[in-house]
Amino acid sequence: MVRSRAERLADLAVYAAMLLLAAAFLLPVLWLASLAVRTQAEVFLGAARFIPEAPTLDNFARVLRDGGFQTYIWNTIKLSSLGAAGAVALAAPAAYALSRMRFRGKGAVMLGILSVQMVSGLVVLIPLYRFMDRLGLLESHFGTTLLYIAAGIPVTVWLLKIAFDTVPQTLDDAAAIDGLSRFETFAMITLPLALPGLVSAFILNLILNWSQFLIPFIMLTADETWPISVAIFRFAGSTSAATTQLLAAACLLAILPALAIFIVLQRWILAALMAGAVKQ
Amino acid sequence: MAKLDLSAITKSFGATRVLDQVSLSVPDREFVVVVGPSGCGKSTLLRIVAGLEAASAGEVLLDDRPVSQLSPGQRNVAMVFQNYALYPHLTVAANIGFGLRRARMRRAEKREAVARVARLLEIEPLLNRRPGALSGGQRQRVAMGRAIIRNPAVFLFDEPLSNLDARLRMQMRSEIRALHRAVPTTTLYVTHDQIEAMTMADRVVVMNGGRIEQIGTPTEVYSAPRTTFVAGFIGMPSINMIPARYRGDALELPSTTLPVPAAVKPRLAGHAGRDLLVGLRPEHLDIRPGGDGLVAEVDQIEPTGSETLVYLDHPAMRLSARTAPDTALSPGMQVGLRLLLERASFFDAETGLNLVPPPSNLTGELTA
Ligand SMILES: Nc1ncnc2c1ncn2[C@@H]1O[C@H](COP(=O)(O)OP(=O)(O)OP(=O)(O)O)[C@@H](O)[C@H]1O
Ligand SMILES: [Mg+2]
Repeated sequence: MVRSRAERLADLAVYAAMLLLAAAFLLPVLWLASLAVRTQAEVFLGAARFIPEAPTLDNFARVLRDGGFQTYIWNTIKLSSLGAAGAVALAAPAAYALSRMRFRGKGAVMLGILSVQMVSGLVVLIPLYRFMDRLGLLESHFGTTLLYIAAGIPVTVWLLKIAFDTVPQTLDDAAAIDGLSRFETFAMITLPLALPGLVSAFILNLILNWSQFLIPFIMLTADETWPISVAIFRFAGSTSAATTQLLAAACLLAILPALAIFIVLQRWILAALMAGAVKQ
Repeated sequence: MAKLDLSAITKSFGATRVLDQVSLSVPDREFVVVVGPSGCGKSTLLRIVAGLEAASAGEVLLDDRPVSQLSPGQRNVAMVFQNYALYPHLTVAANIGFGLRRARMRRAEKREAVARVARLLEIEPLLNRRPGALSGGQRQRVAMGRAIIRNPAVFLFDEPLSNLDARLRMQMRSEIRALHRAVPTTTLYVTHDQIEAMTMADRVVVMNGGRIEQIGTPTEVYSAPRTTFVAGFIGMPSINMIPARYRGDALELPSTTLPVPAAVKPRLAGHAGRDLLVGLRPEHLDIRPGGDGLVAEVDQIEPTGSETLVYLDHPAMRLSARTAPDTALSPGMQVGLRLLLERASFFDAETGLNLVPPPSNLTGELTA
């Protein structure tokens, strides 16, 4: 295909804009990386020397050996995955009902669920704290997981509804004629066929939960219960430049698992996104 | 084995009435084809019989027992869907065997049943594949296999051939008929393709706008249509509709008046002076280069090999005629037409009803 000059110019503009955008996100990460491979002496040079003269992986080694860091990562894994699993499990029936059943006010329900997503966590922070306090769920991973689940459910319901929508209704009809009950149809037909969508919703929750800060910050005050996000924040507030390079290394290490999950499992996410495009 | 009765089925979605008092009686083993234009309610009717949709009023009876309270699975009906509706995550064998899940059979027996059906449909080599790896025709067969295996009381087909190409469609038409001969099961088959209806049906049900227009054998609906709709819907090219008035033993047509043959007179008796429509099949319109009746201009000529279709323009209407393949006509010629009035159907222009009601009645009992 012959592309016109105007089209090529438009492409250039798009690439330039994307580069700018990428730079805005990447620069802090690069800065972090630069700090993480410095010796303590070079940290004091600040931005004067971006690429350190004597780069070292010592900081990473020290962080990885640190018992505290291991606990924080374990806490993050636990809270993120339980929260993601809970959100998917609880959103699935709601999404199925929204996908398959005809009832009055369905559009309003869908919008209502979405609007919950639009409310900033900060707005409900204090009432939420008092609510959890009354229930006696503060300081527990159980209570924190419940909040992770609650935070994940709205977007998960939407994602799963879309996933269920891509499973043709005539399969439900065929299953009904084959003698399956509604629940059997859900379990044996709809669910397996919507699996890519389910998995991608789980991963999305996992990634969102990994970077979750507000909820564990208000829920958990005991050091050994913190996820990595809270731990880093607490340390950043309390440490001097003497440990900056360690903190930077810890930050990078904390990002890595989320990144790895995304890269390894992005096929699933793609598959889920494509499911609607090439309907059987 | 079952007899299927529909008694005054009515269905409304909100304010729109999709089915209006549909009554039909299908004796055991009969193959009935429901045909009608898109949106006339055919699928809805089938879904009500299957139990996938509830009727607003009326009753479905299987062997004289009402089945409204039964779920689709309990009705012992099998359905073949237009898009096949195979389970994409299961193999062909599992798809076919799926309906046997509930059956009290040993595993080996089930496998044997699947193998038997696969042999019948000649899809044995495909048993371990998934539906995604099959051609349209193969999927069609698997869908039929899934339906056959349960030995259902009634077979329901919803436009099962509309996704296939012309040649395959023709082949599957005769295969479905052959299957029906091998496993004679009461069948309700829905299509919008009148050729399918004519070639496959023991009896044809013509529907329009949620109502049954006529029930009859293919020959009956073709040669004795009850309404102008049936006359126009069945047959390709469409029947010619010539406005006419009966007066003094003659038919006044646009631009000519024809004497009425003695055999036709009784049919027109009592309708003198009324606006009529003469329904005349293309094969009952003779082109006579000299011309003794109507005169029209040849517009288009379509040779099909075995015959040639001629489309004609007349100031008052458009006509079509079937002629021998070796016609010497060419577009633009003025030709005379002879009407074989003995073969015509006469309709009241106002009500659209045939002046002589066809023998079959509307609730569909076969007149032996
Ligand atoms: N769930 C529904 N809600 C509202 N209207 C419906 C519903 N299902 C069908 N209809 C309407 O009922 C009418 C009949 O639909 P149906 O599917 O039975 O037609 P059909 O004869 O099978 O047509 P086709 O040949 O196109 O398949 C249509 O006008 C359709 O819009
Ligand atoms: Mg239909």
